[in-house]
Amino acid sequence: MSGSMSVAGTVEAAAQVVLVAAGSPLLVGVMRQVKARLEGRAGAGVLQPWRDLRKLLRKEAITPDGTGPVFRAAPLVLTATALVAAGIVPIATTASPLDGAADLFAVTALLALGTVALALAALDTATAFGGMGASREMTVLALVEPTILMSVFALSVPAGSTNLGAIVNSTLHEPQRVASPVSLLAAVALAVVVIAEAGRIPVDNPATHLELTMIHEAMVLEYAGPDLALVEWASAMRLTVLLGLVANLFAPWGIASADTAAAALAALPLALAVFAVKVAVLGGALAAGEVFMAKLRMFRVPELLAGSFVMALLAVAASFFLA
Amino acid sequence: MSDVTYVRLLDLACGAFLLAAVLVLWRRDLAAIVRLFAIQGAALAALVAVLGVHEGLDGHGAELLALGAGLAVLRAVVLPRLLRRAIVGGDVRETEPLVNVAASLVVAAGLALLSYAVTRPVVALEPSPAVRAVPVALTVVLIGFFVLVTRRRALSQVVGFLLVDNGITAVAFLTTSGVPLIVELGVSLDVLLAVLVLQVLTARMRAAFGGTDLDDLRELRD
Amino acid sequence: MTTTALLIAPVGLPLLAAASHAVFGWRPKTTAWSGAAAAAGLLACAVALAVAAVDRPRTGLGGLLRADALSAYMLVVIGAVALPALLASPGYLAAERAAGHTSAADARRYGILTQTFVAAMALAVLAANLGVLWVAVEATTICTAFLVGHRRTRHATEAAWKYVVICSAGIALAFLGIVLLNFAARHAHVPSSGALDWAELARHATALDADVTRVAVALLVLGFGTKAGLAPLHAWLPDAHSQAPAPVSALMSGVLLSVAFYAVLRVKVIADAALGVPFTRTLLAAVALVSLAAAAALLLKQRDYKRMLAYSSIEHMGLIALGAAVGTPLAASAVLLHILGHGLAKSVAFLASGHIQQATGSTRVDGARGLIARVPLTAGLFGASLAALLGFPPFGLFASELGMFRAGFTAGMGWAVAAALLLMLVVVAAVAAHTGRMLLGAHRPGPGAAALAGDVRLARSAALALTAALVACAALGVTAWPLHTLLDTAAAIIGAHP
Repeated sequence: MSGSMSVAGTVEAAAQVVLVAAGSPLLVGVMRQVKARLEGRAGAGVLQPWRDLRKLLRKEAITPDGTGPVFRAAPLVLTATALVAAGIVPIATTASPLDGAADLFAVTALLALGTVALALAALDTATAFGGMGASREMTVLALVEPTILMSVFALSVPAGSTNLGAIVNSTLHEPQRVASPVSLLAAVALAVVVIAEAGRIPVDNPATHLELTMIHEAMVLEYAGPDLALVEWASAMRLTVLLGLVANLFAPWGIASADTAAAALAALPLALAVFAVKVAVLGGALAAGEVFMAKLRMFRVPELLAGSFVMALLAVAASFFLA
Repeated sequence: MSDVTYVRLLDLACGAFLLAAVLVLWRRDLAAIVRLFAIQGAALAALVAVLGVHEGLDGHGAELLALGAGLAVLRAVVLPRLLRRAIVGGDVRETEPLVNVAASLVVAAGLALLSYAVTRPVVALEPSPAVRAVPVALTVVLIGFFVLVTRRRALSQVVGFLLVDNGITAVAFLTTSGVPLIVELGVSLDVLLAVLVLQVLTARMRAAFGGTDLDDLRELRD
Repeated sequence: MTTTALLIAPVGLPLLAAASHAVFGWRPKTTAWSGAAAAAGLLACAVALAVAAVDRPRTGLGGLLRADALSAYMLVVIGAVALPALLASPGYLAAERAAGHTSAADARRYGILTQTFVAAMALAVLAANLGVLWVAVEATTICTAFLVGHRRTRHATEAAWKYVVICSAGIALAFLGIVLLNFAARHAHVPSSGALDWAELARHATALDADVTRVAVALLVLGFGTKAGLAPLHAWLPDAHSQAPAPVSALMSGVLLSVAFYAVLRVKVIADAALGVPFTRTLLAAVALVSLAAAAALLLKQRDYKRMLAYSSIEHMGLIALGAAVGTPLAASAVLLHILGHGLAKSVAFLASGHIQQATGSTRVDGARGLIARVPLTAGLFGASLAALLGFPPFGLFASELGMFRAGFTAGMGWAVAAALLLMLVVVAAVAAHTGRMLLGAHRPGPGAAALAGDVRLARSAALALTAALVACAALGVTAWPLHTLLDTAAAIIGAHP
């Protein structure tokens, strides 16, 4: 039983990784397309990010003078962490063979590792923009990490475990828990930090290269060719994983959590499709929201993130008070 | 109403009640603050109504429902309307508060923990679902005091005072389904009158000082 | 039936007077005196109630109102202080109108609000229910808010705003305490109809949950302490008392503070039975010493004589709290005597200061030099009342302070009493120096010194009332004979027996 389960789990985890790897540029494409349509433009099509990546991959790899191994290793680290995260977060299955590692702390640390690698690389270039972007990114990260931990922790109190798979399973068994204040507060908090972590409006604007406002773009300014392709691809995957995490923590329906290996494998295609739809809907909503919103001034960003932190903390408090 | 539904609805009302108070700390637009206060009043009324339905519609439950309706009228309609009237023709935004917004949000989180610590004897005395929510109500009281102390506009101070009052009313209903009726009526009347008095004083302040910035109120000191 | 009438009359008479102002306005010859008449009636009812309630408490109006010896005594205090204050009101308002500070509409509002204010205080001491007591105390804040802001100047508006915000917020804490006490009472199987009745609570006190009661009592002492002018939330008091019209300052300083402290005393009875004496003793002693220290520190540099009187009120409330902290029957009767003596002396001081303000046009110590030579009668009354407030014999405050300190040393609170004595020394030095500068010396017109206004005579009714109040205060120091039984019974109610 356990043997066949783990084989099934491996297959499911692999399917998850493939889906995220292949689908995340498409998600970015969908979001750009939604934005373009809402702004009255034709848009470049959903496949455009893949075309961009192909173009970048064909170019020659160049690195700026004076940069060291940190600069060259960062895209690889970023991509690797994103891929591992895609494998362990409960996207299509809660029975991944890496389930033991699918702890909320592990996922947060993995994503933070990627961010830190990129920030170090930006510092390594020794340009003004790189340093500025790294410093801003670290500010945001310092405010985001506690909130992610807090809000997932709040969700883990009713489930009795910090294992993401266990949290999703317990929500599946007690669907009315989604409407509790704990869950609502945590959802709002998590939504805010996902936006911040993914570098979207109102915290950061992925479509600008205006020096006053950019955060993520300032860090990757010196990358070109295949390195840039890796960074872009990894960023898209991170966005997908984060949106998927939010979707499955608060609306886990459709995920494959069958007891037998055969049933689990049979449910896999449906689970993948449902996941794709959920993430596409969330991404579309995010893009639509961005059309109507302006980027916050940099000094208002801590206020927003402090607010989300308070909500996460209140969610934790409420999960103890009201339980 | 089944027990599980009762607890869910109670928790939801408490969550909305608390969230409104936290958002008051976050917003600077005075009109938005008044709107949030109205939402909180509605959440309080809903809380009382849930308690009333749980008690059963005969006897005390019906009384609670009537009180809930009264609270809704007073705190979600009448008081916000009075406050809104005080905004018209005056300042519409909070000036920079004594403690900046990010810090005050973190303070609010600390206040939540403090109220949890303070109310432990209360919860220990009767660990029912309603009494377990008392820390939430006390957090609103403390946030109200915090608004009262750190905000620099007359209207935000009034809202802070009313947050304190909402929180205390919530504590009263969560612990014992309310104080005796005559006291409840007296308290509501007092609150209404206090807000009226403060509204008149706001108008006088605008006439005497040309604004409602409380930083101007520092002529009397030793 | 008669007791019910006696219980309702102290609230009803001032309300009738308020109605007369509402209907007929403020007429100098007629309705202006209705307040004083109501106060006289209130005092008469208080005496009758005191006679009736000495042997056992009387209830009325379906158990909503109750008078025991303590309530009756407090009612006597209200009457005794309100009478001179309201007798001085017509003269004060006439002078204000002559000076153009007050319009007819203002005078009418003044009449209505002072009378509802007195009615609310009477209700507070007669309420049988802590909740109703709270509502009455908060009602006094609302009534007096516009009285504090009576002159509508920048200062008055500022004082009124701070007064309403701080007092309402402070007293909200007391309401939270009441809610928690109600919760504890329900769990001690007190019937829900009597869950806030202070007599019921005191009877069931031993069954109250200690932890919840402790939180509740701390909140109640802090909350009602705000209204009683005790630290740490005392900042409103100097502003409000210095900006209000003199008769209102007299009422607020003389009785309102004590009425708020009466609520603390009622809570203390319950707390002593539920938690033992040490808890309230520590709490009250701490509050008392902080108040004394705050008053002493701020009196030293004071340049405004009305604010000086306000800080002196904080000092006296601190002393009263210290006496309550000691809590033995001797200390309790000294506290009660002090409440009456302070009420009389402080109201005289404020009323005289109102006249000085009208005469000199300034509330600054520098602006009022050589008063003995300029307005001898007022200056004499002002000086005598301050001598009383500083605790000089033969006035009642000397006797009560002596009683408190003796009781404190006997009860083993020598350290607190010693600290209080030290702080009082500072207060006496500061107040005596300021008063000396105001009363003595030659008048030197110069910058900051205002010239005398036109008509500076103290109205005859006011002069008589003030003198009578001072004589009563002095008589209290010689003998408390007519009040003896009442004081002993009331002290037995609040006196703890460790």
